[in-house]
Amino acid sequence: MVTEEEIKHVAKLMRIEIDDYAEYVNKVHAMIDYFDVLDSAGVESEEITMQEIPISNLREDKYIPFNEKLIEKLKNYKGTYVRAPKMS
Amino acid sequence: MNLKIPALEFVQEVKNGNISAEDFVAKTLERIQSVDDKLHAFLSVNEKAIDQARVIDKKVKSGDKVGACFGMPISIKDNICIKDSKTTCASKMLENFVAPYDATVITKLKEEDAIFVGKVNLDEFAMGLTTEFSAFGPSKNPWNTEYVPGGSSGGSAVSVSAFECVASLGSDTGGSVRNPASFCSTVGYKPTYGLISRYGLISYANSIEQIGPLTRTVKDAAFILNIISGLDPNDNTTVDNKNEDYLSEIDSGIEGKKIGIIKEMIGDGIDPAVLSATKDAISKLESLGAICEEVSLDMVKYSVAAYYTITATEAGSNLARYDNLRYGYDFPVEGYEFNSYISKARENFGPEVIRRMIIGGFVPSAGHAGKYFLKAMKVKSKLTREINEAFKKFDLLIAPTVPIMPFKIGEKIDDPVSLFLVDINTVTANLTGKPAISVPFAISNGLPIGIQLLADSMQDKLLLQAAYALEQTVTLPEVPI
Repeated sequence: MVTEEEIKHVAKLMRIEIDDYAEYVNKVHAMIDYFDVLDSAGVESEEITMQEIPISNLREDKYIPFNEKLIEKLKNYKGTYVRAPKMS
Repeated sequence: MNLKIPALEFVQEVKNGNISAEDFVAKTLERIQSVDDKLHAFLSVNEKAIDQARVIDKKVKSGDKVGACFGMPISIKDNICIKDSKTTCASKMLENFVAPYDATVITKLKEEDAIFVGKVNLDEFAMGLTTEFSAFGPSKNPWNTEYVPGGSSGGSAVSVSAFECVASLGSDTGGSVRNPASFCSTVGYKPTYGLISRYGLISYANSIEQIGPLTRTVKDAAFILNIISGLDPNDNTTVDNKNEDYLSEIDSGIEGKKIGIIKEMIGDGIDPAVLSATKDAISKLESLGAICEEVSLDMVKYSVAAYYTITATEAGSNLARYDNLRYGYDFPVEGYEFNSYISKARENFGPEVIRRMIIGGFVPSAGHAGKYFLKAMKVKSKLTREINEAFKKFDLLIAPTVPIMPFKIGEKIDDPVSLFLVDINTVTANLTGKPAISVPFAISNGLPIGIQLLADSMQDKLLLQAAYALEQTVTLPEVPI
């Protein structure tokens, strides 16, 4: 059973601050409760398979400079530095 | 000027000089002007489209080499980047984001002289299946504007269905191309995972999503696939399709092909009209010489829970980048502490995105991963085994694209779990990487029903042949708008 406190804690970790917690907690709760159906799937012994990609498909390990104008997309920057708020 | 012609006919008409690309594009923009107030498919319109079409007409007249699209007006889901155009993902978070580069699919279409008439609506960050979660308001179903058009590529389906463009590109993470295609009576195609580059598609759940075309006809989908598929050095998940021509031999028929009817997708909760259309489709395929019998994919019952667990996890990670430092809306950094600044900026996400990010933080976290994320990954593995097993016996699989009829706007928006179940027939193709297509098949009480076909990985050509055969068995009424 998922508690309201757990949901609030995760929201904080995800850097989500919301005014109306109750609104979110109820719906998120219902969605997570639905996932309980996974318990009935009987997949405990199943291996998780990963797709293998042949190494030849990787692109050449070469430095390709991006357009310098990209930095202008940033709202707060100086030279090639991003300006961020203070860490507390 | 007939705006209702399929893409291939448009190409032929411009090539033969019967119509000009400029006239067609101008009339298309007029059409958008006159119907889009009602439908809200478009988030932005390309003001330069007519000038671009004029350049193509000049090339046609002077006998210069012209790309395969001949100025065809295409709409693009607003989570695919077009250089120097706004790409909003239907989110306040990216309301003013101008893409600095072209997605690979856009580069390829530009090389073939396609014209992008505009960017079309979606559920915010492609999370949803009704287009009601767009921060800029819902799109409406052209068959009945009180109804949802499906989603998340709702704007794409509406724009094709209502003749506001000839074709569209959407993206399909759990049915986001096929679901609106079914609800709006267009063709919607999700290729084998890796067939189309995702470079320039704004990420939601990378491990399963694909860009796909929405078109008037199956042939048009094959035509667009020919242009946009193939290896891309900028997307290492792309596969080499050896420049396969998906259009040639599309009329090969399906005689002798074995088709499995997925039992779990025609069971409880299916609308009687959808079931009856599915049975009708099966008997039509049988009359063309296909051999149809039921097949069971046991894991389908758990596929929606697995799908939401996996996609929320990937979304939680992908959306961490929206911190207002690199992307986001503008407010100064002064007076804020680092975390509170980012949290404040992220208030601009809409409710569904916030819900999925919270879930995405929760299900893979220490203490919960075993119950949720790892189990979801195991369901995905087992479902893949099951479908691979099915494809040893069958060439194709069939099911309705959506088990229920289109519903009214607002009807399910407050009940996320009932919305989940609308996805039950589409997520399997994404979780297993298989190609799937929705073919318009019936109209019941004025609303469309699509039939879905699936094939094994890299059997996209066979899939399109089967879809074409099915398409030829019906003549559907025209959209009443």
